[in-house]
Amino acid sequence: MTHLSMDQLLELRDGLTEPGGAAARDHLAQCPQCQAELERLHQRVAQLKALPTLTPPRDSWPAVRSRLVKARRRRYAWGGVGGLALAASIALVLLLRPALPMPPSSSPNAQAELEAAMLESRLLEQALTQYAPERRVTDGYTARVAAELEDRISALDQELQMTQMAPAPEGDRALLELWRQRVGLMDALVNVHLTRASNVGL
Amino acid sequence: MTKALALDPFPLADAEQVVSRARRGDQAAIEALYRAFERPVYNLARRVCRSVEDAEDVSQETFLEVARSIRKYRGEGSLWGWIRAIAASKSLMRLRRNRYRETEELHENVTPRRREDELLRMDLEAALERLSDVSRAVVWLHDVEGYTHAEIGEMMGKTTSFSKSQLARAHERLRRWLGEEVAV
Repeated sequence: MTHLSMDQLLELRDGLTEPGGAAARDHLAQCPQCQAELERLHQRVAQLKALPTLTPPRDSWPAVRSRLVKARRRRYAWGGVGGLALAASIALVLLLRPALPMPPSSSPNAQAELEAAMLESRLLEQALTQYAPERRVTDGYTARVAAELEDRISALDQELQMTQMAPAPEGDRALLELWRQRVGLMDALVNVHLTRASNVGL
Repeated sequence: MTKALALDPFPLADAEQVVSRARRGDQAAIEALYRAFERPVYNLARRVCRSVEDAEDVSQETFLEVARSIRKYRGEGSLWGWIRAIAASKSLMRLRRNRYRETEELHENVTPRRREDELLRMDLEAALERLSDVSRAVVWLHDVEGYTHAEIGEMMGKTTSFSKSQLARAHERLRRWLGEEVAV
């Protein structure tokens, strides 16, 4: 007697209907050997599903977060495409600014101050890129402080984007304040890598 | 559409809120997604890929992709189903990059088959590990994760028949290695 092939047994196990399926079912009904094979296939699936869940040997979140932060920073850095878009749209706002009524609280030098803060932030980004901390050995404390700073920069970048998209009456001042904060955080991040966390006082 | 995703086997408390925050780039929300799905993602990657290092890389790449693409998740189907599809795709990409090491064939070419089989009584874990990369991936994705042959074929850039024949071949070998052959 010709027994069912593995293909046919699997078709039967998975309830798929293929040409010749009826003949296979007929054979199965009268063949104890094929019935046993089919039962083993069912059991094997159950055994596969019952295998223990393999757990990661270490917590990879810090690595994922670091890669996310880097990707985000690249987007907002002036060198990146997203960064260029952000910079371009801010530049457009700045260009249009003289045509718009300035809020009474605005400093006449607000535009120049904003441009200076953005430039400083860009220079710090460049310094950090040049230093390439991801290729260096970093002690645990420095890594923690750097990660905290990167998180804060990341949150600030989101805020910058929102402020830029929905300018308020005091928008230019708010924007300037955010860019100043970004410069401060970037400065601390550069310092933490260059001089190590113990000297930063965070 | 996968076969078995009506219910999310790895439910996440406040999933809707977490996803909504992750869409806005909230890192804490992305971490919550990571914490909720880290184990099943790693398990899938480890079962498909051969090494711990590959599985860890795949796991990281999966969550980077989740963070990048979470805006595309519309809430149709379970969140795990969506993340799992990314993990499966990344795992198969890793296998392709490693050029499908065919260890099983190597073994069989140098050892007389019948004698070796008579001596072998592997456990399922060891037998699974001994399968070729492609066969192991098909067995895991089909029999455990519940993907259809059409879906597996598509993910592998192959045909539905390819997936079916790989599964049949894998089960024939598992049967032999596990000493489960029925005497004819």
